[in-house]
Amino acid sequence: MSFQILLNLFLAFLWMFLSSNYSVSRFIIGYLLGLVVIVALRKFFKSRLYIDRVWAVIKLSVLFIKELILANVSVLTLVLKPKLELQPAFFKYETKLTEEWEITLLSSLITLTPGTVVVHVSDDSKSLFIHVIDSNDIDETIDSIKNSFEKAILEVSRS
Amino acid sequence: MKTNDVIIQFTAKLVFFMIFFYAVHIFFAGHYTPGGGFVGGLVTASAIVLLIVAFDLKTVQTILPINYIYMVASGLILALGTAAISMFAGKPFFTHYFDYYNLPILGKTSLHTAALFDLGVYLVVVGVTMTIIQTIGEDE
Repeated sequence: MSFQILLNLFLAFLWMFLSSNYSVSRFIIGYLLGLVVIVALRKFFKSRLYIDRVWAVIKLSVLFIKELILANVSVLTLVLKPKLELQPAFFKYETKLTEEWEITLLSSLITLTPGTVVVHVSDDSKSLFIHVIDSNDIDETIDSIKNSFEKAILEVSRS
Repeated sequence: MKTNDVIIQFTAKLVFFMIFFYAVHIFFAGHYTPGGGFVGGLVTASAIVLLIVAFDLKTVQTILPINYIYMVASGLILALGTAAISMFAGKPFFTHYFDYYNLPILGKTSLHTAALFDLGVYLVVVGVTMTIIQTIGEDE
């Protein structure tokens, strides 16, 4: 992936030198041309196209903003209810992620969406301990994490 | 009892660079806008303290093998030398010089000897802060 980015930058510089015009617009044109060439020859690379990963990162960001708004609205409804019928609980969440940055990102995403807080990562980094504000639908929470955040992070990190 | 600090350690590694860059920015902003050597030094020291909190004292000492006492000394020598340079030219102590130069990439830049004095202040502040924190931290 990093090799592809370096190659793309090299092609952009090559385009600048060929046209002997050293301006930003020339560089951008060269970069886009290099991107077209790299996409055309994607069979030669062992790893995924890096533009694919950039797209996955954008999708993850959009998903995060959407989830943040939805979860805050749900916590608002909890707060405004006249009767507090909450059942706080801790539960263990088995994660498939292995890398340091993946676990950190997943924990941050879980913590920033209200209703759930990551309190501990197990010593073998295989499971997260999560505090949930309302334990009536733990399975639903686990499913939502698995299907949204973890899937999106795996989408970014798979080579 | 060793806990798994994966989240704080990874975050500290990331945030260290951001805080350090902010410190450098605030150091160079000191002439026309708020900032300068003292604040920049404190922010740099706080970045290193964040690493110490996330990891531990010995690990950070192996990562950044800096003798902070020497850092304080070099900062003091730099500040004093900058102030004393004008005496060789027959001007009073602490006379500063500045001029505009056309640097290859940056274009027209004003270089001022006060920036060197500020660098001395910066080194002293980082060195003193880290010396205090390390000395207290090593105390068993």
